[in-house]
Amino acid sequence: MAETMTATTPPPVKLGQKVPEFEVETFEPSKGDFGTFRLRDQIANKRWTLLFFYPADFTFV
Amino acid sequence: MGCDIVTCSTDTKFTHLAWQRSEKELANVKYTMAADPTGKLSRMFGVYNEDNGLDLRGSFLIDSEGKLMGSEMNFYNLGRNIEEQLRKFKANIYMAKKGGSEVCPSKWKDEGDKTLVNPGAKMVGRVHEALQGS
Repeated sequence: MAETMTATTPPPVKLGQKVPEFEVETFEPSKGDFGTFRLRDQIANKRWTLLFFYPADFTFV
Repeated sequence: MGCDIVTCSTDTKFTHLAWQRSEKELANVKYTMAADPTGKLSRMFGVYNEDNGLDLRGSFLIDSEGKLMGSEMNFYNLGRNIEEQLRKFKANIYMAKKGGSEVCPSKWKDEGDKTLVNPGAKMVGRVHEALQGS
């Protein structure tokens, strides 16, 4: 695993640390449309975020 | 204080759309479905599996200032208990409201349940007594 990671991959975020700013493309089922999720918007709106990773669509979560 | 649920896999947003529209279990979902086909975000949280390009089952709670407050990771074969996720979220919100003076022990479920106040030297070796009340 280590050899396939590039030298520029930073170590994962640690508990208690600030999460680096990120943005990802999204699908918003409530709007039936695509969008973008940005951490800075959550901070601006004083919202918490539960990020929930799973292996793949069309499987159980 | 509110929380938004954002699910994420290495599928594209187009696949998310197709899955949400075809899977009846997902007919009423309201949460945001994030797409991380490059694995950039997944690597940031250490859930990206370089061997197969699929994310591990990781959950991460980020507070309203962008700080990582909780993390949990399971291998592919074990699903997560959403009740426990919510318990941890509620506990975090409660502790944030108390400004750091209280901590929530493992059995804490909701406001009104036993907490430990200002744990310090006097509680060392006396956690049992502290949990009993007094």
